[in-house]
Amino acid sequence: MSLIGLNSCNYLDIVPDNVATLENAFTMRSTAERFLFTCYSYLPNQGGIPTSPSLLGHEIIPLYVYNSNSTAFVRGQQNVVDPVLNWWDGLMGGIDMYQAIRDCNIFIENIHAVPNMSDEEKLSWESEAKFLKAYYHFLLMQMYGPIPIIRENLSIDADLEKVRVSREPIDAGFSYITALLDEAIPHLPLIIADEGNELGRVTKPIAMSIKALVLVTAASPLYNGNRDYLSYTDPKYGSLFNPDYDVEKWRLAMEAAEAAIDVCHEAGMELHKFRPGVGQNLSDHTIIQMGIRNAVCEKWNSEVIWAYTGATATQTALTPRTWDPTRNHDGMQGRYGPPLNTVNLFYTKNGVPIDEDTGWDYNGRFDLKVASAADKYNIKQGYTTAAMHFDREDRFYASTGFDGGIWYGQGKFDDNDTWHLEGRAGGFTSRQFADRYTPTGYWPKKLINYLNVVGVSSYSVVAYYWPNMRLADLYLLYAEAANEYLGPNDGSFEYLDLVRERAGLPGVQDAWAQHSRNPTKFQTKEGLREIIHQERRIELVYEAKGLWDLLRWKKAASELSKPMIGWDLLQTDAALYYRETVVFERTFRQRDYFQPIREYNIIRNRNLLQSPGW
Amino acid sequence: MNYIIDCKGVYTRNIHILQYSRFKILIRMKLLFILLLFIVQANANLKSQTITLEFTDTPLEKVLGEVKKQSGYSYIANTKLLKEAKKVTVRVSNAELDETLRTIFQDQPLYAEVSNGMIYVKSRRRRNDNTKTSAHPSLHVLLQMAVQGKVTDTLGVALTGISVLQKGRSAQATSTDLNGRYVIDVPGDAVLVFSMVGYETQELPVNGKSQLNVVMKASTSQLDDVVVVGFGRQKRTDMIGSVVSVKPEQLKVPSSNLTTALAGRVAGMIAFQRSGEPGMDNADFFIRGVTTFGYKVDPLILIDNVEVTTTDLARLQVDDIADFSIMKDATATAVYGARGANGVILITTKEGKEGPANISVRIENSVSTPTSNVELADPVTYMKMANEAILTRDPLGFLPFSQSKIERTVPGSGSLEYPSTDWRKELIQEYTMNQRVNLSVSGGGQVARYFVSGALNQDNGVLKVDRRSNFNNNIDLKTYSLRSNVNVNLSPTTEFIVRLNGSFDDYSGPIDGGNKVYRDIMRTNPALFAPYYPSEGEYNWVKHTMFGNFGTGGYLNPYADMVKGYREYSRSMMLAQLELKQNLSFLTEGLSLRGMANTTRNSYFSVRRQYNPFYYQFMGLGPSGEPNYYLINENQGTEYLDYAEGDKTVSSIFYMEAALSYNRTFSDKHAFSGMLVNILRNQLNGNAGDLQLSLPFRNLGVSGRFTYAYDSRYYAEFNFGYNGSERFHESNRFGFFPSVGLAWSASNEKFWENIKPVVSNLRIRGTYGLVGNDAIGSPRDRFFYLSNVNMNSTDRSYTFGRDGGNSKEGISVTRYSNPDIMWETSYKTNIALEVGLFNRLQITADYFNETRKNILMVREDIPTTMGLSADISANVGEAKGEGIDLSMNYSRNFSNSLWIQGLFNFTYATSVFKVYEEPLYDEPWMTRVGYPISIRRGFIAERLFVDDEEVANSPQQHFGEVRGGDIKYMDINGDGQITELDMAPLGYPEIPEINYGVGLSAGYKGFDASVFLQGLARESFWIDPKATAPFRRYLYSDEVFAPGTILQNQVIKAYADSYWSEENRDVYALWPRLSPEGGNANNEQYSTWFMRDGTFLRLKQVELGYTLPQHVIKRINAQRLRVYFNGTNLLTWSKFKLWDVEMAGNGLGYPVQRVFNIGAQLSF
Repeated sequence: MSLIGLNSCNYLDIVPDNVATLENAFTMRSTAERFLFTCYSYLPNQGGIPTSPSLLGHEIIPLYVYNSNSTAFVRGQQNVVDPVLNWWDGLMGGIDMYQAIRDCNIFIENIHAVPNMSDEEKLSWESEAKFLKAYYHFLLMQMYGPIPIIRENLSIDADLEKVRVSREPIDAGFSYITALLDEAIPHLPLIIADEGNELGRVTKPIAMSIKALVLVTAASPLYNGNRDYLSYTDPKYGSLFNPDYDVEKWRLAMEAAEAAIDVCHEAGMELHKFRPGVGQNLSDHTIIQMGIRNAVCEKWNSEVIWAYTGATATQTALTPRTWDPTRNHDGMQGRYGPPLNTVNLFYTKNGVPIDEDTGWDYNGRFDLKVASAADKYNIKQGYTTAAMHFDREDRFYASTGFDGGIWYGQGKFDDNDTWHLEGRAGGFTSRQFADRYTPTGYWPKKLINYLNVVGVSSYSVVAYYWPNMRLADLYLLYAEAANEYLGPNDGSFEYLDLVRERAGLPGVQDAWAQHSRNPTKFQTKEGLREIIHQERRIELVYEAKGLWDLLRWKKAASELSKPMIGWDLLQTDAALYYRETVVFERTFRQRDYFQPIREYNIIRNRNLLQSPGW
Repeated sequence: MNYIIDCKGVYTRNIHILQYSRFKILIRMKLLFILLLFIVQANANLKSQTITLEFTDTPLEKVLGEVKKQSGYSYIANTKLLKEAKKVTVRVSNAELDETLRTIFQDQPLYAEVSNGMIYVKSRRRRNDNTKTSAHPSLHVLLQMAVQGKVTDTLGVALTGISVLQKGRSAQATSTDLNGRYVIDVPGDAVLVFSMVGYETQELPVNGKSQLNVVMKASTSQLDDVVVVGFGRQKRTDMIGSVVSVKPEQLKVPSSNLTTALAGRVAGMIAFQRSGEPGMDNADFFIRGVTTFGYKVDPLILIDNVEVTTTDLARLQVDDIADFSIMKDATATAVYGARGANGVILITTKEGKEGPANISVRIENSVSTPTSNVELADPVTYMKMANEAILTRDPLGFLPFSQSKIERTVPGSGSLEYPSTDWRKELIQEYTMNQRVNLSVSGGGQVARYFVSGALNQDNGVLKVDRRSNFNNNIDLKTYSLRSNVNVNLSPTTEFIVRLNGSFDDYSGPIDGGNKVYRDIMRTNPALFAPYYPSEGEYNWVKHTMFGNFGTGGYLNPYADMVKGYREYSRSMMLAQLELKQNLSFLTEGLSLRGMANTTRNSYFSVRRQYNPFYYQFMGLGPSGEPNYYLINENQGTEYLDYAEGDKTVSSIFYMEAALSYNRTFSDKHAFSGMLVNILRNQLNGNAGDLQLSLPFRNLGVSGRFTYAYDSRYYAEFNFGYNGSERFHESNRFGFFPSVGLAWSASNEKFWENIKPVVSNLRIRGTYGLVGNDAIGSPRDRFFYLSNVNMNSTDRSYTFGRDGGNSKEGISVTRYSNPDIMWETSYKTNIALEVGLFNRLQITADYFNETRKNILMVREDIPTTMGLSADISANVGEAKGEGIDLSMNYSRNFSNSLWIQGLFNFTYATSVFKVYEEPLYDEPWMTRVGYPISIRRGFIAERLFVDDEEVANSPQQHFGEVRGGDIKYMDINGDGQITELDMAPLGYPEIPEINYGVGLSAGYKGFDASVFLQGLARESFWIDPKATAPFRRYLYSDEVFAPGTILQNQVIKAYADSYWSEENRDVYALWPRLSPEGGNANNEQYSTWFMRDGTFLRLKQVELGYTLPQHVIKRINAQRLRVYFNGTNLLTWSKFKLWDVEMAGNGLGYPVQRVFNIGAQLSF
């Protein structure tokens, strides 16, 4: 017994030295680098179906039967008990943004302690973490409006009153984010030197274009002078939404966008244009359309400013069930489709909206028409389809698949011999399985890489990285901000027209003057605003940006409460098929501008206000 | 004192071994065991030897030397005594040892006593000087005299090992030998006490007689029993703490799982069984309910003082059990310190008794069949409802079944074109047969005694086997166990015990277990395809089974999944234990020392072998009526087996204890006992998966018990445990857990004598004390005082590079350090009343209450905006439990050999939260404080919504889509919304508060019969609204399916009979508006809609037995042969009819079994 007694002091002391603790993360460059990866790991996949709040919802809608957190989100099934895509707590498909911010803060606090790194590298890494911290705050503000700002980490044993944080005013949030980005930008690299290993890391163009996006958002009607939330006040910080409109916010946004464009140009970026292979004879339409498609699907093309490298973009779930009549397997699922609401956005071939074009039969758009040889690059020759599929701009054909539509690529690279889709009942692309068909009759073609091939039993996908920011987006941000600050101006037209030129369209002024029923629309700030908004919705369609734009423009209430329309999918006969059918009725209430915070949090932290209206 | 110690070599050798370190003992254990086996054998030879002597005037020492040589018996004698001895003249030939010794000592002032393989030489007048002659009037009774005699049972069979002692002088004691004989040296007026467990103790006055033969009666009451308590034994009549001992034969059920026998058998135990799958059918059991909200809520289980798992208990053979005790209150468990807070089950296994080999065999064969099966809707109803589920939610939805298909499908037609598959019939047999064999041999001589047993159980599942493959995919669980307990007397005062025990499971069964087969049947489409198609006609070249499937082959085909392969596992538990008991009476009377070392090795591994099934879709009939099939997955299917390795776990446990105890009664009235024990435990797990988890689990402690009893009337007891656990920071590592108890036996008072014939026993006892629990948080939280950082977290990985070539894992904190965390402590009070009436009815009633403090819980008030990646916990919770245990035993023997026994056990245990960290709610029903721990919280369902308009005009329900026919919840706080704040505690707790059992048995001549009913009450459970939702895709939390697998719940017939539809808007229908595969989150909330009453009473066991008369079995040289028939789970009374109510929420799993069993027990 005494033997045991003697040893008892040590007997229970069994933990050896060198058990990993958080300090181990900052004792060497290699572990610090892993911690930096950790900071990046919280970036959301904006193109991921179960997780992205903005991919699905109005530009693309899901099959009813197919449930995920993001479909629940867009169907208006948001709730306060267990919110879907909860970025506050990291639940229900959401990412824990506050955990992300805490890790960024840990990194920023400790990176200077790492012994075997140069000061420049430490500064550069710290700036990346600062950028991420700012970006995570921005994502929270997009979702929740005013938020508690986590400038520094609170210690674990901090007293309860201190950890019960409050929402801070919108303006404080945006200025904190901007200040953080301003601290980071000077120390970030212009380009990534080691592309093989580091593409995807934050650069000066990324940080500056996100800054432009942040400032445009801050200047937009939802956040700038929004008088809908006059009574939404916090006991500590008072009014959380500044009710006074400040046009100077647009100036800051315009300048930031201009600076970002300059730096992107300096880094060698330009709008992507498709260059056919040697000996490949393609029509102009195909080349233009491929330019549009590959601006998204070609990895690291010349206009990608920031691509999300955490995962490759979703393609199988969006691909039509098949374009090859002889092959039919579950590699392609095609259970998401754009509604007519989205299809109607695309211009006519003259570059103006379909309801404004003097040369386009808007009222006869549901009539049937047989494709002729002239249409053969867009519609299967001899195939009968709706008149509205004819004479549209190339971005329509590049972005959207439809019944009778030509689908270039996917193993057939001669545009005189291409796949096409047959979506009416009985057609090889029609609905045959309970959970693998488009709910509307359209497919988001733009997101499908043209190199993907349907094999005998599998679908081989050429992966790409989802573009969080590309040059066309930035150009349009500039055009919007400049118009808001200056009214119609050369700068806005210049960048709008650059985007339209790549899409094979004439400039705004020419197009409207010659083809629109409202030929002077672009001469007023309001008119040009509408043009820019539609241009943006078309150019960036399916890229998970539309929701955020509609929200910040305060257009969501009108746009998102329209019924989502598709075709009558059960019909074989074209005349019966092309009847407008309500696929989904979504309601959008005022409160849906901001997502609710889980009630659990409000109960536990009474200082925290619930989101307005919830 | 100076002793001549003359003994065999082995004794001396062991003395040396004692001086070795304990670790060395362990190393040599194997050797020793071989040695001990040898001794047993040698001892067996001794019995037949006789002695031949011829000496004239020879010194006694020399004569005894010769006796030793011939008999092998050593002797011990005081040297002074031997000098007093006269010279010996003796002539015997072929005499027994007893006779020889009697002759040798005929005229000596000494006498010899044989006990435990030793010859003790003692003085006949040794004590005369001490006797207070003046106090006694008559001289002759004062003289020490040798009393001898024979002890037999009522049948005249000599009893070995009966303890014989002089009343009031426990030091003067002996026990009967192999022939039932004893010799004891006592004063002529002494009273001799004859006792042995299982027999009624007898007290007989000597009255100067030198011959005293005794007939022992088998005891019927437990009053005389000795009860195994922590690190020792106590007489039942002296007990202060609350300890229940269960007779092992009561635990005998036709199952190879002992835990299933516990329900209703023990006052103070809550037990229930949720699954009937062989190998997975352990019952849940809790002592006095659950009074904590940590992970470890079940009791500490000890077999021969060594901590074991529930599975080890499950595999224990009832026939091996000597004592089964359950310790419930602080006094009983305090000695277990930081481990005993949830109660302790302490089992000791049998030991050999001196005597010829006693062989006992038990053979059983049982038929087992589910107590009930969930009834399903037929395929036609299924298809109609499947279409309706789509249309009622999405009028544009894709209908899975065409009208013509629905019309042409005929259930049970076997049609290929319009299949209707009864999956359960295809997969499950009606019944299965199981066998159990158990053999034990015990016996021994004076030096060594042995108990060896072996058991083999064969359990089979009820799954069907595919005749086309040669492997068995049905559950085939063989459990073997082997036990060898050997006791060796190294000297008259030293006993050495070796226990070896192995338990082994060999399992072969379906890939994912039997439970999954049942679950899969519940989510397979019955109207799309057959389980398999015959390989006939143009397909007769096909070597593999043509399994049915549809579309792209993603549908679940549970038949294919069941027969496509098998999983094997092998589990073994080996235990080797060495114990040494040293009587230290030579230092001071009543002192003894005991040391024990044990090592337990567990190992487990599993292997899966399977092929990938080929799936065929039926494509219609050809021109001549031959079927055409399309091979769906030509590339994925395989005709050969693939192999996957499963879990491998190994662990090694070392345990040791050393105890010093003292037990003495002074002046006949003051009985003292004391015990100090030091324990040490070390467990190492292989394949732990984490650095911190790989570190040893350790426990260290000193415990003690001190009792005092005055005149068998007043009793006091003090216990303590001082324990340390490696999980806590140095400053909190050790804890002190004291307890005290007092008792009064009123029936032993003088004034009670008149009442005694009626109230034969009345005793009141009470205890109060502390016990701890160091198994808090979760088993993965090893060291609360250390942070745990995952330096290679795949959850936090990220990728960079042109082609994603640079991928690195991230860093995440999985626990923040907190040096203040310590064990939870339980403050227990127990007050008990024991009443015995007419010596036939024993009633014990306990009231207990317990306050559990320092319960580890997650700090609820740290908002998520802190961004912590792991929860912060602290010892802030408190819970309170209280309740009543009641047990009644009735026993009566009638003169015409009719006997009756009855028992009734009742347990009522509740527990509530006392301190629970939670926000300050405005809604009183939101707080947990004051509500039972295992109560479920949810919404109060009013009814179903009449229509969409009512939904629009009702408080908003925040769970996704709500329409007419969906469940309407009550807005308790009236804020116009149904949110978390409208959740209230619902029904009764999920762990039943009442558990009871009633048993009655009777016998007449060779026949015996018994009935046992068991029930529980005050329990609520929930029908799982996700797992049972028609057409829903539901995965249980632990499951993984291949991507693209289509899971669609079947329709439970009761739902098909009563659900809300647009045509039949029954707002009180059993099932709300149908939903397609995604389910409906609104209806899946926990609510009163799916709450059910778990109360039931069941006829748990009926047994009929017949013991063949002696004259019949004599012919086969047997001692006893009993044949019996019994059945379990024969009848159940409950309000709930969908499935066996005992399975509660797990109703779609492998059902609890009804067993009919026939067995025979034979002993030689």
